[in-house]
Amino acid sequence: MTGDRLVNVSERWFRLLQRLYPPDFRDDMGDAVVETYRDRARDELRRGGILRLSLLWIRALVDSLRNGPGERARPAISWRRGGNWGRDVEVATRRLLRARTFALVTIGTLTIGLGMVAVVYTFVYKILLEPMPYRDSSDLYYVWRDYGSIVDLKRAQLAGPDLAELRKNTAVIEEVAAMQQFLGGIFALKEGGDPTEIAVTNVTPSFFTLLDVHPLLGRVFAPNETGRGKPNLIVLTHGLWNRIGADPTIVGGQVRLQGNAYTVIGVLPPTFSFVRDEAAGSSKRIEAFVTFGFDLDTQRPDQSMVSVLIRARHGASPQAVASAVDAAGRTVDARDFNNRGLRLYPVAIKTDVVARARPALLVLAAAGALLALMLTVNLASVLLARAAQREHEFAVYRALGASDRTVMRATLFEGGLLGLAGGASGALLAIWATRALVALTPLDLPRRDGIAVDWTIGGVMIVLGATLGLLAALVPAMWATRTALSSLLASSAVRGGGGHGRMRRGMIVTQVALSLVLLSSGGLVVRGVERLIRADPGFQAEGVLTFRVRSPPEFFPKPADLVGFQDRVERTLAEIPGVTGVSATSALPLTASAAPMTISFPGAPGNTGSPEHDTPLVDMIGTRASYVKVMGMRIIAGRAFDPVRVDGRQEALIDRQLAAQFFPNGDPIGAKIPLGRRGFRTATDYTYQPADAYTIVGVVDQARQYDVHQDGRPQLYIRTEDWGFRPLSFVVRSAQDPESLILQARAALKKIEPRVAMGDVRTMEQIVGDLLRQQRTSAAVIAALAIGALLLAAMGLFGVVSSSVTRRKHEIAVRLALGADHRRVLRLVLGEGALMVAIGVLIGVPGVYAAGRLIRGLLVGISPLDPVALAAAAIGLGLVTMAACYVPAKRVLGIDPAQSLRQE
Amino acid sequence: MDRNRRAIDDHLPLRPVEFHILLSLAAGERHGYGIIQDIQERGDAPVPDVGTMYRALARMAEARLIEAAARRAAPDADDERRNYYRITEAGRQVAMAEARRLEMLTRAARLGGLLSKGAKS
Repeated sequence: MTGDRLVNVSERWFRLLQRLYPPDFRDDMGDAVVETYRDRARDELRRGGILRLSLLWIRALVDSLRNGPGERARPAISWRRGGNWGRDVEVATRRLLRARTFALVTIGTLTIGLGMVAVVYTFVYKILLEPMPYRDSSDLYYVWRDYGSIVDLKRAQLAGPDLAELRKNTAVIEEVAAMQQFLGGIFALKEGGDPTEIAVTNVTPSFFTLLDVHPLLGRVFAPNETGRGKPNLIVLTHGLWNRIGADPTIVGGQVRLQGNAYTVIGVLPPTFSFVRDEAAGSSKRIEAFVTFGFDLDTQRPDQSMVSVLIRARHGASPQAVASAVDAAGRTVDARDFNNRGLRLYPVAIKTDVVARARPALLVLAAAGALLALMLTVNLASVLLARAAQREHEFAVYRALGASDRTVMRATLFEGGLLGLAGGASGALLAIWATRALVALTPLDLPRRDGIAVDWTIGGVMIVLGATLGLLAALVPAMWATRTALSSLLASSAVRGGGGHGRMRRGMIVTQVALSLVLLSSGGLVVRGVERLIRADPGFQAEGVLTFRVRSPPEFFPKPADLVGFQDRVERTLAEIPGVTGVSATSALPLTASAAPMTISFPGAPGNTGSPEHDTPLVDMIGTRASYVKVMGMRIIAGRAFDPVRVDGRQEALIDRQLAAQFFPNGDPIGAKIPLGRRGFRTATDYTYQPADAYTIVGVVDQARQYDVHQDGRPQLYIRTEDWGFRPLSFVVRSAQDPESLILQARAALKKIEPRVAMGDVRTMEQIVGDLLRQQRTSAAVIAALAIGALLLAAMGLFGVVSSSVTRRKHEIAVRLALGADHRRVLRLVLGEGALMVAIGVLIGVPGVYAAGRLIRGLLVGISPLDPVALAAAAIGLGLVTMAACYVPAKRVLGIDPAQSLRQE
Repeated sequence: MDRNRRAIDDHLPLRPVEFHILLSLAAGERHGYGIIQDIQERGDAPVPDVGTMYRALARMAEARLIEAAARRAAPDADDERRNYYRITEAGRQVAMAEARRLEMLTRAARLGGLLSKGAKS
């Protein structure tokens, strides 16, 4: 064998050994390694013949066996093995950096769009999805009474004895806790100290074990510390403790509540917060807890008086809990209601707390999802346009042997990177935007305190951005792989055009359709809110200051004391300069605070003999004499209360609904209503008079209790003096800004009675505004999303028309040269855009209908097919999209055929 | 300056094969077999396997201690074309730092009596 042949055989051996190395190392270094071995083999052969050469063979084998697998195991580069991803990222980044305007505009669009999506997601996640901050919160349920056919109350509180029934089923229910309907209290650090009104509620000791709260200082209630005759104990929340000076030695000390001494036994940790969500009214953050001063078991079974929380045994299914609660309810129904159909039912605590915000949030979530979809389509069309510009480049790549996957990867990376950057900056924007929006939301929005962008949400947004980018890049990536070499040759003649143009126009049509859906929904919601704002709630809100004055029985034990105090407050307030009227009520309008009870109209012509019809559940509202006049309520028939009350003559006002129901043809004035211990009554701390006949003196329009735009339960007004209502909310009307009266009112109250405090000071206009805040906020968010969508569609349209003008410049020049005038050509280009808009609108119409049905729950007083809102949406869309077409289309006016054709 | 220092120190200590590669390249551009021949000529150290050396070359090129020079004909290998490497400024500094480090260790060994004074290290 000649030397050269031996060297060549060796080379084959060395090359074979290279298989032991990973492919990328082989690509980079393989040839050099083989060459070096070959050089060495030549030397060895020269020096020692075949023997030394064969030693080198063995040595090369050992070398490769060691280093090949060693190189394969090297982790730092193994990520590259699947393909050259690292280089792809680098190339994509570099390409984006070069097209800086494109990158900035795209990322900017994504930032704003994804920012909006992030804000919506934050609200939805924090309110609807995130677990409540209690241990195993999915095991917690509220329990409510449904009175069925007994009386029209579907979500009423439980009676005291119901608790014992629930406690019996220990197999499913681990713990039962009760709290009384929100109870305000006048709090002072010491006797004669400055009084403030706090939100305090009485709870069973099991409340804290059920929620698994451990006090920061001191202790919570022991099981035997509740009930009649037990000492007055109070547990403070961290917030209240801070407000009164954060004194750690307060534990064991005494404070005053309603004038009585209470011993502070503990302070709760700052992380604990409990918001009582009222059945219909506003939720209140509880600031202090006391125990019940009476035994719940001995309370009347027909008196709804406590909200009940239960903790199910861990692992008990919701169905098991529901049937356990239902069984307890059947026992109660049989024992106390003669099987007339009372039911008990559980509602998971989170479901219960968020129930009011849920419909609006679901609509927002849907709008957010639509916007995300629009962003994807928009990005896809932008990327497609960009890919089309690079058609030539792709064709060359492929001609040079780049695989489909390489070309796809390049486009996918571009989309992914853009999405990633947009998601990250969108999340940053959302931090600020969420903060701003939370400030706009109503204070009683469920779980409002926790609403902020956190790391999880930021992470989700970045992932969402990247996914969206990849999805968007999929279309252009697929298209790019199809570009064939032929386009290289064809492009100079046809100038792009081709398949991507149709795809892009399809995307524009989709965007127009989607934005029409969002715009119409936004229009409907905004118009609904506008209706609400203009609605007549049955009173005149302007110029009225309201505040609550607590007058606890501890300070005013006798009815005469109470009425005397209330008289004095009214008189003194009336003396404030500028005040034109003062009155008071037990239940301010739009606060859902009236006491529901059943009444009857014996002998009224409208009676039918059916008890459900003849004993309606009404809102019982106590007012002082001049309330109707001060509030600006409307009297339909008869008169308001006599300014001077005559003992033994009890006057009543009924609303239009009751008058129509019971006195369809006749005159209700003078008819009698017996009010007393008959029938069903909810928990109140009123002092009852024996059954008395109240005489109807007038019929009024409702000063609405629940919604500004529609009547609630029928209303019955009586004088506060006749029932001893307390506390009262005073209403002070003046010609000047009502807020300017606060200080004087406070001073006047302090002069009359230093032990009481003003609570819940708001102008009537604020009360109206607070009620509408949730609707206003959601309308603002939906409107913003809709406008964002419209702008996206306009941008897309702008891009398509603009590139169409560029592409067709030659054709247009020819047309001009052949005698078409500029206006005609402009119409031609505009027509192309208009056609896309028209098709988009046509496709969007069923979506508009579907979306209208979806948001029906949010629309008050308008139909989901409201012509004004829908027409406004369509016209707005038309104007903006046509402007987006016109601006780039105008360029055809500047085309000079001679010059343009000469350039060819 | 300080950051520079730290960047250099990050590479220390060098493996013998890496030091030898830098040493060879410090004298001028070399192809792979040229480096091995240099090591053989220096005599004392065991000659590294070709695979070991190329893995080191790949790593050092990634760390920008060396870089690939143009592929060209090699006069010592029948004028066949070979991949040449050259040392970078960073590589030179790392090699110098390593040499200083070894010198200090040697001096310490000598002072500590591990090596006889004046003996060849």
